[in-house]
Amino acid sequence: MPEKYEAMFRSAEMSLVQLYIPQEIGRDSVYSLGDQGLVQFRDLNTKIRSFQRTFVPEVRRLDNLQRQYRYFYKLLCQHDIKIFEETEEEVPKGTFRMAPRSSKIDDHIENGSLIEERMVQLVEASEQLELRKSDLEQFRHVLQAGDEFFANAAGFSHSESQDESIPSSVSFVTGTIPRAKAGTLEQILWRVLRGNLFFKHVQLPEPLYDVKAKTTVLKDAFIVFSHGDLILQRVKKVAESLDANLYDVSDNAGARSKQLNEVNSRLADVYTVLDTTNTTLETELYAIAKELQVWNSEVAREKAVYETLNLFDYDSNRKTLIGEGWVPKDELNSLQGQLARLTTSMGVDVPSIVQVLETNKCPPTFHRTNKFTDAFQNICDCYGTPSYREVNPGLPTVVTFPFMFAIMFGDMGHGMLMTMVAGLLVFYEKTLGKMKRDEIFDMAYSGRYILLLMGLFSIYTGFLYNDMFSRSLTLFKSGWKWPSHWELYETIEAKSVGTYPFGLDSAWHGTENALLFSNSYKMKLSVLLGFVHMSYSYMFSLVNALYFKNWIDIVGNFIPGLLFMQGIFGYLSVCIVYKWSVDWIKDGRVAPGLLNTLINMFLAPGTVEEELYPHQAKVQVFLLIMALICVPCLLLIKPIHYKLTHPDNAYESVTSNETSEETVAEHNGAVAKAGDDDDDEEGTGHGEEFGDVVIHQVIHTIEFCLNSVSHTASYLRLWALSLAHAQLSTVLWTMTIEIAFGMTGVVGVIMTVVLFTMWFVLTCVILVLMEGTSAMLHSLRLHWIESMSKFFVGEGTPYMPFHFEPIDVESMKQE
Amino acid sequence: MSFYTVVAAFLVVSLVSVVFWFLAPKENQTVWRSTVILSLSMMFLMWAFTYLAQLHPLVAPRRADLRPEFAE
Repeated sequence: MPEKYEAMFRSAEMSLVQLYIPQEIGRDSVYSLGDQGLVQFRDLNTKIRSFQRTFVPEVRRLDNLQRQYRYFYKLLCQHDIKIFEETEEEVPKGTFRMAPRSSKIDDHIENGSLIEERMVQLVEASEQLELRKSDLEQFRHVLQAGDEFFANAAGFSHSESQDESIPSSVSFVTGTIPRAKAGTLEQILWRVLRGNLFFKHVQLPEPLYDVKAKTTVLKDAFIVFSHGDLILQRVKKVAESLDANLYDVSDNAGARSKQLNEVNSRLADVYTVLDTTNTTLETELYAIAKELQVWNSEVAREKAVYETLNLFDYDSNRKTLIGEGWVPKDELNSLQGQLARLTTSMGVDVPSIVQVLETNKCPPTFHRTNKFTDAFQNICDCYGTPSYREVNPGLPTVVTFPFMFAIMFGDMGHGMLMTMVAGLLVFYEKTLGKMKRDEIFDMAYSGRYILLLMGLFSIYTGFLYNDMFSRSLTLFKSGWKWPSHWELYETIEAKSVGTYPFGLDSAWHGTENALLFSNSYKMKLSVLLGFVHMSYSYMFSLVNALYFKNWIDIVGNFIPGLLFMQGIFGYLSVCIVYKWSVDWIKDGRVAPGLLNTLINMFLAPGTVEEELYPHQAKVQVFLLIMALICVPCLLLIKPIHYKLTHPDNAYESVTSNETSEETVAEHNGAVAKAGDDDDDEEGTGHGEEFGDVVIHQVIHTIEFCLNSVSHTASYLRLWALSLAHAQLSTVLWTMTIEIAFGMTGVVGVIMTVVLFTMWFVLTCVILVLMEGTSAMLHSLRLHWIESMSKFFVGEGTPYMPFHFEPIDVESMKQE
Repeated sequence: MSFYTVVAAFLVVSLVSVVFWFLAPKENQTVWRSTVILSLSMMFLMWAFTYLAQLHPLVAPRRADLRPEFAE
């Protein structure tokens, strides 16, 4: 097997292949391809509607099965039964796995229907029983309440007529009603019967199942006494319209207790049956819970296979499926091997044929990432997928992203905290990888290598800034010497005796003018690093142009742009370094301000007030003229070149009718051809007009010139954020833990503990987490805007090979 | 201790980079090369700028809160 191309600097070379697969092994072939994830299939049937395709019946059957599985899952959730989850082991690449036999899938389908039928029956039965139960329970409640009603009613009649029973002309209606509607019922009845009634209701202790609401609601039992059948009918109608359930209750206490006994025994029966039904249902559900995930993933795969097969062209005469797709060029052999192995193991006479097609279609972009580079690549892909074979910005991002972050986050202590967390994530990555992770944690986990590098670089930059939790270290001998003696509170100034070899001199820590020095240092540092970062990125545009043999881009875009940028900002950077390396005090000269130098270079060319070096005026005038010449070059070279290489087609199509007709015909032809070709917008060289070229170039020129200024300024955020970070950690230190240092005794102990906790928690939350997030976002912006705008085209489409994804239980949730 | 320290460090870093270019592990070679060499150069640049900024200082640290006992 030939060595695979690493495909990190540029995307992998892709080839378009055509697969001729005998119909009888079509399913198995696609299965084995899905295991490997090699091919991104193109849709060859865009003209055919989705429901007219070859394998629609199969997909429908599987859809139905998946619906059944979702139903089972819903039942499982309702009954609080945990699904038995098995983590699928990853299939290592290159292994060969046979597709499950299609009879197995048929079994699944049969089983699914059977189980569904049974489930529906059981669920219906249990719902019916549930209804019966609630009905009987309400009856029982009404009967129990009846005692109270009649006792009261009897009490009334007793006082008046001394009679035990109610007069026979008085009849009554009893029933239950949702508590909220009891008042309404009473009011309506009062009006309808003109007050000619006796209404009584009691609250039932427990909520009862209501058919309409489909849940349990609180109910009241009520009784209405009134005269006459007609009126009673009316009362019944009103009550029923308010969702009341009516029950016939005898007014005789003896009959009532008999009724009650009867109801109780029926209720006991219902309870038993309901219990059995539910047990059966749950037993079946437990059986399903064990298998459901396996079934679901098998069916999901089967469906994915048929959906892929639907993209194939089916030749019914030769019983052949024809598929077309993109494969990395260096994996062609393994694709062929895979199909050959399948053919031999299936024992089919007709082999599958792989044929490489010549095409002018733009292939998808495929970078082979590993667990380390994946997160970095994602950062860049978020902004845009690189064009096919373009320099991949994800590769330099691996270093520049964490480093730019570290410049803003420079503190050894904070860097160590971050490294420790990231180190844990990396160390336990296998265990954590299998765990279920929530969204935030998953973000930290997938970015663990970014975090690790950010932490490590932060330790380094913190070392250079000489900051550890805002304290400084004295690792080397200071380059400054304080006077040999001084009075208390006397302002003293140190004398330079050497240069601190690594990082900022610790003598600066806590001095009055420390900020003055560190500001000047950090500002220049960020301009220099910004310039280096941008120039580095800009060089990739040269690499791209050389690779695509795009000479006009080098001459018309790269060289003028380079001269413009280097002439102004390259010169500034050189001046900064030059000014640093000259010993102005020893030479007894005034050190010129660089900012004024740069401003005067534009405003008053040819005059220099304080000279940085001899012949400075001439050099600056030369650079200025060069930069100015570059602007028209940037603007004109490409359009002029276009004009020269594409002569006169703009005029002819207007002047001569014949040619315009021809172009129309050609255009139609192109449309027809595109139609034949099924899809894909990219025809052969869709004509870029001269006007387009000019407008594009004008925009590019303006953008480039303005951006070279604004992007350089934008890198000053490195200075601002690192300054803010350092100041914030100093403030936190002085306001919390430093207070505890002077105290002694018990108070001292308590204060130290409390203030240390406060300091540590705030350090983690504000300085590491919040500041870290903000620095990360700024670093992200520096990459997306400042760096990638220098070379990135980003018109690619991502390579998405057909590959079985691990199926999650959650996928059954959506309806 | 002068500008030549920076030049010397530059030469050392370039040498290490060149050596690493050839010694990079075969697997994931591009990533190894790019990551290590780019890290080295960024770290060198940052050190060099920090060093140069203090090579010929124009301002000296000044303070009034040191106790006289601190004098060496």
